[in-house]
Formats: sequence, C-alpha cells, structure tokens
Amino acid sequence: MSSFKRDKKEEEDSGGSPYANLDKTIVLQEARYFNETPVNPRKCSHILSKILFLLNQGEKFTTQEATDAFFATTKLFQSKDVMLRRMVYLCIKELSQIAQDVIIVTSSLTKDMTGKEDLYRAAAIRALCSITDSTMLQAIERYMKQAIVDKNPAVSSAALVSALHLSSTAPDLVRRWANEAQEALNSDNAMVSYHALGILASTRKNDKLSTVKLVTRLAKSPLKSPYALCLLIRLAAQLVENDDSDAAQPYIEFIECCLRHKSEMVIYEAAHAIVNLRKSARDLAPAVSVLQLFCGSSKATLRLAGARTLARLTAKQPTAVAACTVDLENLISDPNRSVATLAVTTLLATGAESSVDR
Amino acid sequence: MVYTGTMEGSLFEPTLYIVKGMCILDSDGNRILAKYYDKNIMPSAKEQKAFEKNLFNKTHRANAEIIMLDGLTCVYKSNVDLFFYVMGSSHENELILQSVLNALYESVSILLRRNVEKRVLMENLDSVMLAFDEICDGGVILDSDPTSIVGRAALRTDDVPLGEQTVVQEILDALSK
Repeated sequence: MSSFKRDKKEEEDSGGSPYANLDKTIVLQEARYFNETPVNPRKCSHILSKILFLLNQGEKFTTQEATDAFFATTKLFQSKDVMLRRMVYLCIKELSQIAQDVIIVTSSLTKDMTGKEDLYRAAAIRALCSITDSTMLQAIERYMKQAIVDKNPAVSSAALVSALHLSSTAPDLVRRWANEAQEALNSDNAMVSYHALGILASTRKNDKLSTVKLVTRLAKSPLKSPYALCLLIRLAAQLVENDDSDAAQPYIEFIECCLRHKSEMVIYEAAHAIVNLRKSARDLAPAVSVLQLFCGSSKATLRLAGARTLARLTAKQPTAVAACTVDLENLISDPNRSVATLAVTTLLATGAESSVDR
Repeated sequence: MVYTGTMEGSLFEPTLYIVKGMCILDSDGNRILAKYYDKNIMPSAKEQKAFEKNLFNKTHRANAEIIMLDGLTCVYKSNVDLFFYVMGSSHENELILQSVLNALYESVSILLRRNVEKRVLMENLDSVMLAFDEICDGGVILDSDPTSIVGRAALRTDDVPLGEQTVVQEILDALSK
C-alpha cells in the first residue's frame, strides 16, 4: 500500500507541481465551481490559490476578468470553512485592486468582523479596510474603535495597522481613534503596543508638543516590545536633533540606557542614534564599543550593521573610530562582500595606510 | 516627512513602514511568491523580476546572509532549493529586517513540517500565502512570532472539527522536538 502511494507520488512529481504551466483562461473557468452547492472547501481553496498564484506571478487580468472572478469568489461566503474564508479574504484584497464594484462585499466583511470567530475577525478587518474608501469609513467607525481595544491581540493589531493605512487618506477620522490607540498601547502583547505607538506617533507627526509628552511619558516606563522601543528611540532622537538645549537631556539618557537592553535590535538602534546625535568622542564611546562588538559577531547582519554605522561616523568623527581600526581590519577579508567593501572604504577614509597594506 | 529626503549618515525614520518586499525564489531564481509594498520602488512585475534575477545571481552561491543592492538592504537565507529574502530601505535597521526574515523562514519551516523544499512548499502554497499575509501588511510588520503566525495560517478544518486545533497542536509539538 505504502509503495503504491509512493509510486503515485513520483508520478505526480514527474508531472511537475500543480502550479506549473497554469493557464489563466482555464483557471478562471474553474472559478465556476464556486457556484456549486454545497461548497467543496478543499477544491475551492485550491482554485483560489491558483488565481492568487497567477496574480503573484505578474499575470495581467483585465478589469472584466478580475470582476468576474471577484463576484464568483463572493459565493464562497456561504461556506464556514476557516481556511477557505481566509483565502477568500486574500483574493478580495488582491482582486480589489483591479475589479469593479468591490464594495459589494462590505456587508459580508462587516458581519465577519463583528462575529464570534476570532480568526475571521482579524483578517476581515484588514480586507474590509483595503476596499473601504473614506466616505464609507464612517459607517464602520464604531466597529473599528471596538476592534482596536479588543482583547484578542490579532484583532487589535489588525485594526491598528488598518487604521494606520487609512490615516493617509482620512487623517481626521483616524485621529479620533487616538483614545482607543492610547489604551492599546498598554497591551501586554508586544505587537499590539508597537502598532498602537505607530498610530499615536503618526497622528502627532506635526504636533511637536504632544510628541514631547508622549515620548517623555514612555521613556520613563519603557515598553516591553523591542520593535516599539526601536520606534521610541527614533522619536526621541528626532526630538534631540531638533532641540540642542538641556531639555533634550532626558531623551539622550533614555537612548543611552537602551544600549544595555537585552535585544540586539534595540542595542543597535540606540547605538545608531547616538552616533548620529552626539558630537564629542567621549560621549560617543559607549555606542562605539557596542558597534565594535558587532563587528566581531558571527552573524553577517550584525557585522554589516556595525561596520556600516562606523563607516558613517568616520566621515564625521574619524578619531572616534580610531579605536576600532583592528576590528575593521579583520573585516577586510570577510566572506560577505558588502561587509568587506565597507571595511576597506572606512579604513581608507581614516587614512591609516599601514592597515590597508596588511 | 522631513526625514525621508535626508542623505547617508542620518537617523532612522520613525515609521512603521519598514518592509519594502519579501520573496521566495526557487533554485533557478524564478519567483515562487513575492510581495512588494512600496509603490515608489519597482512598480511593475517586469522591474520586480529583473531585480529578483539580479538578487538571485548575486546571492545564490554565497550564503552570506545580507547584501546591499539597488539602494535596498536585503537579508536572505536558503535551504535545499528555496531562497527566502526580505528587503528594506538602505536607511533601515538591518536587525529588524533580519527578525522579519527569521519569522518568515521559521513559519514556513513549521508549515512544511521542516521539509523546506520546493515540492513540499508547492503542496502547501495556500498556507504559505496566508503566512506571508500574517507577517507583513502593506509594509508594516504585523507579527514576528512564528508560532502565532502558523497558528493563524495553518487551519485545515476539513481534517479537524471547528474549534479543535489539533493540526496546529501537532505542528507545535513537532516544533518543540
């Protein structure tokens, strides 16, 4: 029996993958199966993934083809299969760029977004916001506000990220959701607080005073999420750059404190900020020694990050980089060419001829 | 948007729009899946595929983790006949991009039950598409925790009664081994 199975498998292999040489016309015809009742989730899901695969390969769909496929897809809402429903959302998002009258699914998506199944809700919010324009947004505003403070992190993140996308077209509306975002900022979930901080920062982009308030408060009780901390460091660095006075001192202290964080991502973010902000070699020393350690890492990404930031510093403060000459020399023969190139150019710029000779 | 224009040697921009693109290529450098999130870079499929070819040519022999190419920082990882890439601006924290690549690779690896190869990936393409969608939304990192990404991308309800997440559990068990 098992050998029979294996034979069958090999047979399939020789025929290539189910996605090899797909023909658009045939796949679009297959979408007719979507009208059949009851819906066969496996079969329909497979057809949807073929459509998505073609779109992803850059195949051109005419408006008519996309619209037909889109309307066929809406028939699948009668199935409750989670996997199939998720593929339907994905197709809605992709086809809505080309198809017409896509707002027809608004009510189905609104129903899913407010329903009981968490796995539907998060994905439905994202699909809904991708087809919604600013005029229709008011109709779902109440649900968006609820979703932002939902206790399910996937739902909350989906609503926050969708709101961020919408803020480019409907900034005033999204600004009204700031209270909910503020509440989400305190979430225990790292991604939720990151996304919430993103919304708060973007709605305050042109309001320096409220950005100062936000950063000051958060710098005192640091966030748990490394991503959120990186964003906070960027916001703090921006404030320091625009304000040379003593008032900026607490932000500098906060950033320097992040040099001791346990996440490499945060440490690097802080070191990069300090290198770009501080002027005297003495103030730079802690950041430079962190970057020096990165240069000796076994991970190429860390070596590149370290070497690249040191290379930038060389242009501004060659003396500060002098301490790292040996570390950079070790990188000249680095297996990663980007790292090696950076090391060579940096050493040439510091003018230490002796090291290039070696 | 004061910071977008500034040149080399500047601070990182305070934005959530960090990922410029993600793709999976096969051993010939052909696209299996790709998403680009910034309409200002590589707007058409033609440009994207030319970039992917170039990227593949420069990376498929040396597994060097990271490369700077066409003004983008690309982190990558390969296994058997699959190549995974995450792209970001060259003014971006490389380690954040690396964390996204790790999330992508690890999620796919769990979904394919550690058989990270093209044949198995093609059999599970729908789940992998969902994983892509769970990791990044329009350039914003949506989730970077492989177990939660897989938990949302791997549900097969015709095998399992609704509400019983045994498939996911099985995968998570496999992961902990």
